Amino acid sequence: MATTSVAPAPSRQASQTLDYHALNAMLNLYGADGRLQLDKDREAARQYFLQHVNQNTVFFHSLEEKLDYLVEEGYYEAEMLAQYDAAFIKSLFEQAYAWKFRFSSFLGAFKYYTSYTLKTFDGKRYLERFEDRVCMVALTLARGDEALAQALVEEIINGRFQPATPTFLNCGKRQRGELVSCFLMRIEDNMESIGRSINSALQLSKRGGGVAFLLSNIREQGAPIKRIENQSSGIIPIMKLLEDAFSYANQLGARQGAGAVYLNAHHPDILHFMDTKRENADEKIRIKTLSMGVSIPDITFELAKNNEEMYLFSPYDVEQVYGVPFGDISVTEKYHEMVADKRIHKSRINARAFFQTLAELQFESGYPYVLFEDSANRDNPIAGRINMSNLCSEILQVNTPSRYDEDLGYEHVGEDISCNLGSMNIAKVMDSGAIGSSVETAVRGLTAVSEMSNLSSVPSVANGNARSRAIGLGQMNLHGFLAREHIYYGSEEGLDFTNLYFYTVAYHALRASNRLAIEKGDTFKGFADSRYADGSFFDKYTDDVWAPRTDKVKGLFERSGIALPSQDDWRELKASVMAHGLYNRNLQAIPPTGSISYINHATSSIHPVAAKIEIRKEGKLGRAYYPAPYLNDENMTYFQDAYEIGAEKIIDTYAEATQHVDQGLSLTLFFPDTATTRDINRTQIYAWRKGIKTLYYIRLRQAALAGTEVEGCVSCTL
Amino acid sequence: MTDMQAPAAPKLSRIDAINWNRLQDDKDLEVWNRLTSNFWLPEKVPLSNDIQSWKTLTAEEQQLTIRVFTGLTLLDTIQSSVGAPSLMPDARTPHEEAVYANITFMEAVHARSYSSIFSTLCATQDVDDAFRWSEENPTLQAKSTLILDRYYSDDPLMRKVASVFLESFLFYSGFFLPMYWSSHAKLTNTADLIRLIIRDEAVHGYYIGYKFQLAYEEATPERQAEVKDYAYGLLMELYDNEVKYTESLYDGVGLTEDVKKFLHYNANKALMNLGFEALFPDTITDVDPTIMAALAPNADENHDFFSGSGSSYVIGRAEATEDDDWAF
Repeated sequence: MATTSVAPAPSRQASQTLDYHALNAMLNLYGADGRLQLDKDREAARQYFLQHVNQNTVFFHSLEEKLDYLVEEGYYEAEMLAQYDAAFIKSLFEQAYAWKFRFSSFLGAFKYYTSYTLKTFDGKRYLERFEDRVCMVALTLARGDEALAQALVEEIINGRFQPATPTFLNCGKRQRGELVSCFLMRIEDNMESIGRSINSALQLSKRGGGVAFLLSNIREQGAPIKRIENQSSGIIPIMKLLEDAFSYANQLGARQGAGAVYLNAHHPDILHFMDTKRENADEKIRIKTLSMGVSIPDITFELAKNNEEMYLFSPYDVEQVYGVPFGDISVTEKYHEMVADKRIHKSRINARAFFQTLAELQFESGYPYVLFEDSANRDNPIAGRINMSNLCSEILQVNTPSRYDEDLGYEHVGEDISCNLGSMNIAKVMDSGAIGSSVETAVRGLTAVSEMSNLSSVPSVANGNARSRAIGLGQMNLHGFLAREHIYYGSEEGLDFTNLYFYTVAYHALRASNRLAIEKGDTFKGFADSRYADGSFFDKYTDDVWAPRTDKVKGLFERSGIALPSQDDWRELKASVMAHGLYNRNLQAIPPTGSISYINHATSSIHPVAAKIEIRKEGKLGRAYYPAPYLNDENMTYFQDAYEIGAEKIIDTYAEATQHVDQGLSLTLFFPDTATTRDINRTQIYAWRKGIKTLYYIRLRQAALAGTEVEGCVSCTL
Repeated sequence: MTDMQAPAAPKLSRIDAINWNRLQDDKDLEVWNRLTSNFWLPEKVPLSNDIQSWKTLTAEEQQLTIRVFTGLTLLDTIQSSVGAPSLMPDARTPHEEAVYANITFMEAVHARSYSSIFSTLCATQDVDDAFRWSEENPTLQAKSTLILDRYYSDDPLMRKVASVFLESFLFYSGFFLPMYWSSHAKLTNTADLIRLIIRDEAVHGYYIGYKFQLAYEEATPERQAEVKDYAYGLLMELYDNEVKYTESLYDGVGLTEDVKKFLHYNANKALMNLGFEALFPDTITDVDPTIMAALAPNADENHDFFSGSGSSYVIGRAEATEDDDWAF
């Protein structure tokens, strides 16, 4: 695939037809009648095809001709197609085309053709339509299983299931990156591990999605090296190296290399770490494109509550004393012991001041993310410790360290983390009613990604993936669905629905993984030590009754024909899981769904819309406008935006879902610029108390100063 | 121009320590707060992400872009070194003076920003050529002279008029281009930076216009008529020159007519900031929707963090938490 994109700028036509960018932009301008011009966006999508896509698509007379050409020219993987006979492939494409798929928004179509579809090597012309891409993804993931291929086509073309970007982008292409979305890696406190990490950042960025690194184990600035004091440079130079590595490597130009780093709040370099995002940071330490997260244990909240100082501990000394890296210690558990231990160097800062600094940084840059470490571990049914998250803060899995030889070979291959993501469209699933089979097809598709991934360039990730077969089934379009059904986001009915929807998904996901374990006669490694194996995980479902609290929600499930799992269903599942195990160590994770929610025509993830007409800005798209799915004049009031809805209702909604999700949920918080750091801190405290596991970005919105607005502009009238 | 000496607004005759807790005009604090919380430096924007995109521009488009930015650099330099400081002696309150000090500094930041763009994207030779072009370009120099004459004059009202025209009108023939690129998926990080500048200039033009209106209302009817006459006269002079400038820049890429509509729109906006009636009728201010929709000074783009830093973050207000907040 070539790195250049198809030139998007159409020549201005002499006629009166507006170009599609202009039509799309009219979404952000009120019409003469003072209403939103939603029809202009549909017209923009239409014009995009007429003026641009159709003219730039390579034409073939038949499917056979097309497939032959694409295989011969090295665009498609011949081995993949060879798993099926030609008649079946043809019938599958016919199945997809019979659906008569149309993009519902300009941005959806624009995003698809700019970023996903197969193009000629010179990047000038399109070789696929949406239906072709769907078929290639289904054929790839089904690995010869015709029924699964048909089921996948059905789920994807209907919009019920949408694989994450790396999978949807790469499947079936000869020249491609990996199918996996996300990687998480530890760094140990030695030069071999640091060096290997830089290499891994390059290798993984080249092949796949984002990579997150754990920095908590690294000794602090000024720590001794070979017992000589004041030698170590700390974590900042490592961040610089990683940032440069990520900007060098990208996935054949398709996706910018992106990375994140996580640090424990009680690491001595924590303030330096956060200062790298300061507006006035020195160029030598400023971090621009590397994302960052802070892992905060419960003890930090306790200390802040009592307005005490919080101690920061030297990871080098901690490892000497306990024999395990700092990241594998529960700071909450060992805090007082470590404070009392004279062998551990420590410094201290005021706990409340730490939280305030955190919020200041979030104001200036949106970073850092927050991992509530103890909440994540409490909810984790798997043996081991969660000490970091990923680039989008939804992956929460255990890891173990690797040891290296001097030549960077492995003395011991530990377990690092990868995760394959895909999301379901809540509204579409509710419309079809077949939630059990939709979830199962999705789980099988995602499991295929895990099994097919070749991650030999980073053995610790390959090892972790082989042992765990972790997947992350996500959800999107919650707000779109609620608004369509005239339910306010965060209302009693909204919370009720969220709870029961996720409750039902959890049941079917576990059942699907259990079926896979039975079929394949295998479980993930470490199943025996999990709370699934002893059955205790299921207590909350077998002991309690989960039923609708409101008539409205009861009616919604009835209308869909979706039966909520009963206590008996759970008892049966529990017995089967205890007998046969689960095939996947992790099943659910709720990603933020940027790009895929546009092509799927959904609201992102399970958070509220950022605006009725969202102004989207991306490197490859420029500035474009996206209307909330299902938005019309009649239901407008239900599309309150995230800033109006406020943090509390968002957290309440996420808390409902959190109790049924084994990994994390990307939770973005939205504030007006009139908020203070205290407002952010209070929200963080509230989120932590509600059992939220991670917080993603803080987004700010600043209204134009009265008197400087642009007249007739939708985004000016908040 | 001494005959135009106005019944001046009360000037500050001596310097007293500024007391922000005794405001004569609440607008001063409102604008001060907005400007300080909007503080930024160009280093925050990952301009290097635009290098690939820059290479997709034709040589002609690159030259246009560099020239447009050199033109903007000149205007920001004028505003920072002469324009904003020249408003200080006429400040009605010490707080107004402080706001001008902020404007002075931020204009210097803006001028600095273009150099960041140049050093990231362009070859030194091309940039040097463009700066030479800017020194020799007659319409650009004429624009500068027209404004500087007002700044060096003795008439405080006209200084404000010229300043508003510069902030709210003259900049925009330049701002058009990055907005245009960004709506066509090019140079999006550069556009982020320009949006930060627009965010500032929108407030500057508004505030100076507001202070102008206060002084204007106190003037005699004869004096008012004189100033108004003069303002429209200056605008027409600037407009005629700006049209030539626009043609010399944009004819090659065929965007001149679009930019002109944008000029009309912003000229009206500048007049509105002064409290005067619009000059250009609606029929010739129908700016291309992509530009219009991108112009909103709100910071509300839902940007993709992995390809840019966005233009919505501000310096927050720090406030310590209280015991109540930690009651759990």
